[in-house]
Amino acid sequence: MRIQHGAALSLLAISALVIAACGGPAAAPSATVSATASATQAASPSAAGVAKATPGQSVKMMLLPKFLGILPFTQANKGATEAEAELKNGTTHAFVGPTADNSVQGQIEFMTNASTQGYKVVMISNNAGDQIAPAAQAAQAAGVKIVAWDSPIPSAKGESLFVAQVDFNETGKVMADMALNLMGAGGGKFAILSASPDAANQNAWIKALNDALKDPKYAKLQLVDTVYGNDQSEKSYTQAQALVAKYPDLKVIMAPTTVGIAAAAKAMQDGKLCDKVKVSGLGLPSEMVSYTLNGCAPQFALWSFVDLGYLTYYASYLLATGAIKGADGEQFEAGRMGTFKITKDPTRSDGLRVLMGPFKLYDKNNVEAEAK
Amino acid sequence: MIVVVTAAAVPGYLHPQNQINLLELSIEKAIVALALSFVIVSGEIDLSIASVMGLAAVLVAWLRQQGVPVEVGIVAALAAGTLCGLFNGYWVAIVGLPSLAVTLAGLIGYRGVALLLVEDRSIGGFPDWFNRLGQQPLVGPFPLALIVFAALVVIATVLLQFSGFGRYVYVVGSSREVARFSGVRVPRVKMAVFAMSGLTAAFSGVLLAARLGAVRGSTAEGFELDIITMVLLGGVSIFGGSGSMAGVILSILVILNLRNGLALANATGNTQAGVIGALLILSVLVPNLIAAARARAVRSARVEAGRRSLPSAK
Repeated sequence: MRIQHGAALSLLAISALVIAACGGPAAAPSATVSATASATQAASPSAAGVAKATPGQSVKMMLLPKFLGILPFTQANKGATEAEAELKNGTTHAFVGPTADNSVQGQIEFMTNASTQGYKVVMISNNAGDQIAPAAQAAQAAGVKIVAWDSPIPSAKGESLFVAQVDFNETGKVMADMALNLMGAGGGKFAILSASPDAANQNAWIKALNDALKDPKYAKLQLVDTVYGNDQSEKSYTQAQALVAKYPDLKVIMAPTTVGIAAAAKAMQDGKLCDKVKVSGLGLPSEMVSYTLNGCAPQFALWSFVDLGYLTYYASYLLATGAIKGADGEQFEAGRMGTFKITKDPTRSDGLRVLMGPFKLYDKNNVEAEAK
Repeated sequence: MIVVVTAAAVPGYLHPQNQINLLELSIEKAIVALALSFVIVSGEIDLSIASVMGLAAVLVAWLRQQGVPVEVGIVAALAAGTLCGLFNGYWVAIVGLPSLAVTLAGLIGYRGVALLLVEDRSIGGFPDWFNRLGQQPLVGPFPLALIVFAALVVIATVLLQFSGFGRYVYVVGSSREVARFSGVRVPRVKMAVFAMSGLTAAFSGVLLAARLGAVRGSTAEGFELDIITMVLLGGVSIFGGSGSMAGVILSILVILNLRNGLALANATGNTQAGVIGALLILSVLVPNLIAAARARAVRSARVEAGRRSLPSAK
């Protein structure tokens, strides 16, 4: 809509700026928050009440994924758009993000510019580790609410709330179980193919997996390496090949990223290695269906990214309109998904969490139905 | 013009904090652009700058991990950057290889060393004072990097435009032969500009590490193109010998303001890159077209004059 397509000529683009300004209403943000002062909305967490949203207010919100261009984030945006329609937000949210190879710098830039642009909420899937924290804190100081989803700010500095897709410790156990299933009681060697080294969610899951492996149940599972494909298909593909070359007796590649698992499965399929090396981890049914049916990736897990976007939008809207404050113990209602509670995040030393869940395991019996 | 249009189009753009933000987000590149101007005016190119930035940032982080204090790490990083510059300079100035090839090797090689040191990890956990220097205002609303940039603008301008060394750089850039016959020690000048480029890039890399608070092997990857764009858009000829520091400074401000304006209007990174690319082509094209048109005018005027003189010659 705005000027996304005006890339060709600089002069065109500059003049398009003027048009963009005329087209994009500059929302009167200061008026929106005070409009919430209806009596029912008196947001007191101690009242054991469940906060409900007052639809129809205008809140300028930004949905900032790690980067644009992969399916899970597009699905999250679908959920956010669904929530937006229900809440009748007068200002359409922006779905913007950096390119994959400029993710860290790009996210910091979006965060830094957010308050100047008049955003009241930034919903971020953080790919910049704690490097985003200074910019997030500055934005918060300027009155912007920062709601993390999918991937939190590890130190929780600058973050109001984290909407967690699943319990991060559970992710470790789920992955350990899948590895055990695939390798059998005899165990063997397996390796992790992750996203980027700064990805807070993947790093937390890998740590949780390492913790889970201490359980005697998994004693015969030997984690030999962790490599990074930066959520880029090509790099993930070559990293998967490199793993097999380096460890000839490798039995499983565990990829806790939708890009990595699909790339690894393709690499094993192309190399005719699926009998020897199985791929597992977190994947999208629609991207994994062929690999699951042909036995390259017999079992994997995930949650609904649409629901995650939907819940994140509700929490952010409630926070920005003052219906919730973002405090431990508060409860709120998120449309079709029901009631949620804000608690201390047990998987980080600091920070608040809203837990979505559940995990869904996929194999040849249910993957086709989900892939549609 | 860009400033006026953007100010009208994007509310909040002219706010002082936004102006500081837009400078801060690219300040490391702007600082290196100042030093790179010397290299390009001298008729050479340094493609290895971004890799030197990355290597310096990685060195500080890696040395800290080995238990070396950050202060020492910074000195080591600056020394390493200068060495990289001297190494480039040696092959270009003394051996006489083309700088495009030498510094391309540097781009790959120095990045390689950085990647070897940290592999795929992200190293953070710098001491607070180091992060604070990069992330928080030092004097009033201005962070350290901005103050350093302002100081370097003055130093670079004086050095290039008003010093003997600056004149040597121009002479070397316009004609190596002329420079040699007029007694300029060409190799020494070239070594100096490459060393400056390396040192400045390393310094910027350290600033970047402080601002980001964590470092990866790929830190600053791809920055060289942005930095070269800043210099060329400022009217410095890629063939050397001409251009001015004022032009480069102006171009830095134009690029940063344009990028910021586009970002505030939610243009994607690709759109921003497209616009700046188009601007660069225009900036090279327009002066060339004007020069060509002028040359044609002069030629036809000469022909005209020749024709008029014909009858009298008869």
